[in-house]
Amino acid sequence: MTTVPLKRDNAARQTWLAVLARASLAELQAQTPDAHDLQALQSVRPPEVGMVMLRGRVGGTGNPFNLGEASVVRCAVRLGDGPLGVSYALGRDKRRAELAALFDALLQDPLHHDDLQRELIAPLAQAQAQARAQKQHDVAGSKVEFFTFVRGEA
Amino acid sequence: MNNHSLAPGLPDDVHDSQQAFRAVLDALARPGQDRLIGPALPGVALGGALARLLLSLSDDETPVWWQNAALELPMWLRFHTGAMMAERADAASFAVFTDIAQGFALSDFAAGTAQSPEFSTTLFIELPSLADGPALEWHGPGIETVQRVGLQGLPDDFWTQWQANHAAFPQGVDIVFTCGEQALGLPRTTRVRRLEGV
Repeated sequence: MTTVPLKRDNAARQTWLAVLARASLAELQAQTPDAHDLQALQSVRPPEVGMVMLRGRVGGTGNPFNLGEASVVRCAVRLGDGPLGVSYALGRDKRRAELAALFDALLQDPLHHDDLQRELIAPLAQAQAQARAQKQHDVAGSKVEFFTFVRGEA
Repeated sequence: MNNHSLAPGLPDDVHDSQQAFRAVLDALARPGQDRLIGPALPGVALGGALARLLLSLSDDETPVWWQNAALELPMWLRFHTGAMMAERADAASFAVFTDIAQGFALSDFAAGTAQSPEFSTTLFIELPSLADGPALEWHGPGIETVQRVGLQGLPDDFWTQWQANHAAFPQGVDIVFTCGEQALGLPRTTRVRRLEGV
């Protein structure tokens, strides 16, 4: 298979896709533009539910092992002749995947990019970072160090 | 990736692919009888039958060889089914011919092995017509007495090559001819006799 050259703005897109993947349905719905403001929405890949294998490492550094499978929903849409928006999200909420794909398409459109970055992505990213930090802080208190004394002639 | 060219897949994924699978199964079980696969898909530069069969049959373990390797169609198929583009003809599970008049060799494709004849290539060949060509008589499994077929647009040496393919049984390739919404099967078990001047 021929390799597809990466776009320059790939890193930026990765960031907003990660934010969209973690956003809840309510958060996305709050920002959804009216249907008549948009060009015709075409479903290139209607939302579909599948499974992904989650892999873990013991202690974060050991050998990888299969932790278990999780359901995931993915979707691809296009606005008129514009860019293709894609999304992957954990769970089985098809509407959420559809909205995330719609926002990905809009974010690639220079007309909407700046507004959406400011009003949707930046606040969501901040909220997600805060929630993560809070969780890490809560969990850190219960950290236990295991160690053993060496017996015998050491 | 050229996002603008990516066309949608089957409108009703599950039922459309089941219907296409059933129809092509029937077409290969009854060589020479055409079967309806389904109408063309919007934005896909292939006949309806060919596009639907590719979407229904290919997956990430079936490399597809393309006669015209313009990137658009392989990218479309890969997006929807995960099927890679085969670099070499004999590594392909499926081969797609959209202009058979450019010539080709059946022996280029995988014929399977004596132990595993199922690892052979299945060829999809788009023809201008499945009825109006030179008359042929087909015999073999799935045909009660004789099946009359008239395929249009095949190169002159095609049936000589087919004879060699048939003689290699149980190895050899299978062919599905398509034209618009229709498909017609030619499995390796079928014997073909040309009726010159009919």
